Amino acid sequence: MYPKEIEELFKSKGVRVGNRVKITKGKHSYEGIVMPRITLGDRNNIVIKLDNGYNIGIKYERGLKIRKLKGGKRLKFKSMKARLRKDPGKPTVCVLGCGGTIASRVEYKTGAVFPAFSPDDILASFPHLKEVANIKGRKLFGIFSEDMSPQHWQIIAREAVKEIKKKVNGVVLMHGTDTLHFTAAALSFMIQNPTVPVVIVGAQRSSDRGSSDNEMNLLCSTALAAKSEIAEVGICMHANMADDYCFFHQGTKVRKMHTSRRDTFRSINVVPFARVWYEKRKIEPMRDDYKRRGMGRPKLDDKINPRVGLFYSYPGIDPSLFECLVDFYDGIVIAGTGLGHVPTNPSKDPMSKSLVPALRTLTESGIPVVIAPQTIYGRLNLNVYEAGRLLNDIGVIGNGCDWTPEAAFVKLMWVLGHTKNMKKVREMMLTNIAGEISERTEPEAFLL
Amino acid sequence: MIDEKIYYKKLKLKAGLEIHQQLGTRHKLFCQCSAALKQRKTKTDVLRKQHPVSSELGEVDIAVQYEFFRDRSFNYQVFPEEVCLVELDEEPPHDINPEAFNIALQIALLLNCEILGEIHVMRKTITDGSNTGAFQRTMVVGRNGWLKYGSKKIEIAQVALEEDAASIVKEKNNKVTYRLSRLGVPLVEISTGILQGYIPEQVKEIAYMIGIICRSTGKVKHGIGSIRQDVNVSIKGGARVEIKGVQELELLSKIVRKEVERQIDIVKSGKRVVHETRAANPDGTTRFTRPLPGAARMYPETDVVPISIDKKKIKIIKASLPEPLTKKLTRFKKKLKLSNDLAIQIIGSDYLSLFEKAIKRYPRLSAIVVANVFTSTLKDLRRKNVDIKKIEEKHLMTIFGALAKRKIVKEAVPELLMNFVHSPDESLSESVKKLNLTMLKKTELRKTITQLVADSPDLRKEKLFGIAMSRVRGRADPQEVMKVVSTLIKKRK
Repeated sequence: MYPKEIEELFKSKGVRVGNRVKITKGKHSYEGIVMPRITLGDRNNIVIKLDNGYNIGIKYERGLKIRKLKGGKRLKFKSMKARLRKDPGKPTVCVLGCGGTIASRVEYKTGAVFPAFSPDDILASFPHLKEVANIKGRKLFGIFSEDMSPQHWQIIAREAVKEIKKKVNGVVLMHGTDTLHFTAAALSFMIQNPTVPVVIVGAQRSSDRGSSDNEMNLLCSTALAAKSEIAEVGICMHANMADDYCFFHQGTKVRKMHTSRRDTFRSINVVPFARVWYEKRKIEPMRDDYKRRGMGRPKLDDKINPRVGLFYSYPGIDPSLFECLVDFYDGIVIAGTGLGHVPTNPSKDPMSKSLVPALRTLTESGIPVVIAPQTIYGRLNLNVYEAGRLLNDIGVIGNGCDWTPEAAFVKLMWVLGHTKNMKKVREMMLTNIAGEISERTEPEAFLL
Repeated sequence: MIDEKIYYKKLKLKAGLEIHQQLGTRHKLFCQCSAALKQRKTKTDVLRKQHPVSSELGEVDIAVQYEFFRDRSFNYQVFPEEVCLVELDEEPPHDINPEAFNIALQIALLLNCEILGEIHVMRKTITDGSNTGAFQRTMVVGRNGWLKYGSKKIEIAQVALEEDAASIVKEKNNKVTYRLSRLGVPLVEISTGILQGYIPEQVKEIAYMIGIICRSTGKVKHGIGSIRQDVNVSIKGGARVEIKGVQELELLSKIVRKEVERQIDIVKSGKRVVHETRAANPDGTTRFTRPLPGAARMYPETDVVPISIDKKKIKIIKASLPEPLTKKLTRFKKKLKLSNDLAIQIIGSDYLSLFEKAIKRYPRLSAIVVANVFTSTLKDLRRKNVDIKKIEEKHLMTIFGALAKRKIVKEAVPELLMNFVHSPDESLSESVKKLNLTMLKKTELRKTITQLVADSPDLRKEKLFGIAMSRVRGRADPQEVMKVVSTLIKKRK
């Protein structure tokens, strides 16, 4: 929206966004199409698109004249139609859209980004997909991934299971990348035996550019969903900076590790399930311990308690922070330092403050406290140092686990959706449910 | 010249120029990588593919494009210090480089453009792989400018600031290798309006003038590839053809002439000239590259906030604008009496500021002599493999001082300069003595020549002058020698 003064000028001259106009200012004049005012920058500039494609901003000042010319166009995006014919010889993959920029499209005349989510749109944008599978799909919602909530996870899980029960060969979920690994963990707990691959995919580069990673990620994900034997929930995205293959990461053992690189998702403490080659669409398993396609029946278990908080320990952290959590949360996860520590001040240093009393209050009030490593990689061990032993003594959960903070956080929500019994919570937390805890760590499973 | 003018007027020659000049900034336009383009050893390679993006063109077009992209892959070479995640399309652009932005504003103002109120960075779709992001970042900085050319005003339609593309290394079996060093180096693109009523030589001169306006800032890159010209050519009955990537200015008029001839031949043979893009060959001919694209597919670069320009900023930049070299050129020709060629040479020389310093310090010294030292003497020495980098400013200045005081003659300059290369700490008087370059007194000169005339009574004036010069070269002014020879011969008669 333009400021009131400019809007009024437009109105008085019958000018609307999308109209072709001539703007005269002093001895200079400019012709072009009036563009919508973006919120960034100085809103007192009228933005027009010149015939050569450039947008320019013309500062609104007294004496500026605007005149409507012929031409111009309505700024609207036409949905594309792909000729869709089902190939009975090919597997069927259901693509569900949750938002993110992976499949949005740009209208070049205006630069506006439009979400593209009908199967037609997807196929029109990525014609290669139909060589791999028959695509069906729909949009569940269109939000940024940082706006995802546990309720969204539940909807996704229900819809995915619905599709699996309709006998699709695999499910692909398009999702924004920021919290992709939270969703991956949640679905891993909610759909424990998917019987087909449930592949979550995103893109790090916006889809308007020919270099976007969306095409390769989506193609590899679809190939995986269509024909892989790996019936697990996981994330399939670039394995490195090149466009050669993707990794299929285990849903509970993966994390976004870079703000912007296309190979941002890394397996943590495990080796990825598989490599998926882009051009050959070949799937190369890297592990053997995955659930096989078609074994058993899919089951939805989407009970969840969202009243869980995730906190980060740091030097000098104030214990009173934890004292006031009782009223807000049913469970707490702390990303602790090193082997799983928080300040416990066993040497009674006058400048340090122990979290032990505050955490004890929580556990004694029936609020489970779970520890996870802020080092991201490695296994917790609360027996080595006094800090760990003190946490063990007050019932902090996590000794021996190698979960990521996000997997531990999602798991606690899911467990608390099933029970509030502290003993039961402890037991469930320490039992491996969806691959979130591994018993042994391969030496190569670091910085992979 | 007049015939040519009539000839091209009849043909209704229309030309348009697009000058691309790399800026001499430390960093690139949207990241902190070095823009020096000095690294030679690759660190690593990254293999990428590109794919078409949907547009209003419809799915058929996309399908066709897909086939084009299908087997094509791009190998990007990464160099230390000159390539980071931004060039690799792995990180969003950083804030715009203020140094580059200010130089672009300076150039736009020197070309009398109106600076826009708000500058919007755009993404221009590029499909040849020369940009890792498949688009080039570009922004219009100024519009509606002009440049004085003789008594005429040349329209400068637009000045844009943009990123340079990666340079191609090789192409084999649909695998194209690019160096990423050049990607992101700031570049100004200056577009003229339609040039009508000019001959090809003048089109070249206009390109030259635009080039030196850029150089006036003192902050543009020099050397091969740092300035590239695109030229649009059309004649009556022909069509607009765009010739891209002319790296040598000298070729420009030839290319225009040849393109006109090519279009005449096509028209004569009854065929139609096709709108197309052609590339320049080193011999001035051109080759077809692709059909002329429609309006560029451009959309906003949403990762960079539009830059608002207030009048105060323009005022500050205007107040400190350098003297445009076009003005300097006129001044050199009128006040210093340099020939057009010599003026152009010195303007284009790396020694321009030293030249100006010398003529300011020694106003009695002929500017032509000083200019020649920079444009030809030093060049000759370099050609003879003399390491002229060892010649310092103080060496040149003492030599100019001695010339001004008529202690030495200009013919002694090459030898003295050469001597400074070997003995940089020797004083000028020592060198002059050592090399026997002390200027002869008038009486001595007269004595030498008198003797010569007496010894060879039959020789003609020219021959005598030649022998005299061979004896006193570097120690006497040739004009003076000629004068003495002439008077003595007159006496002889």
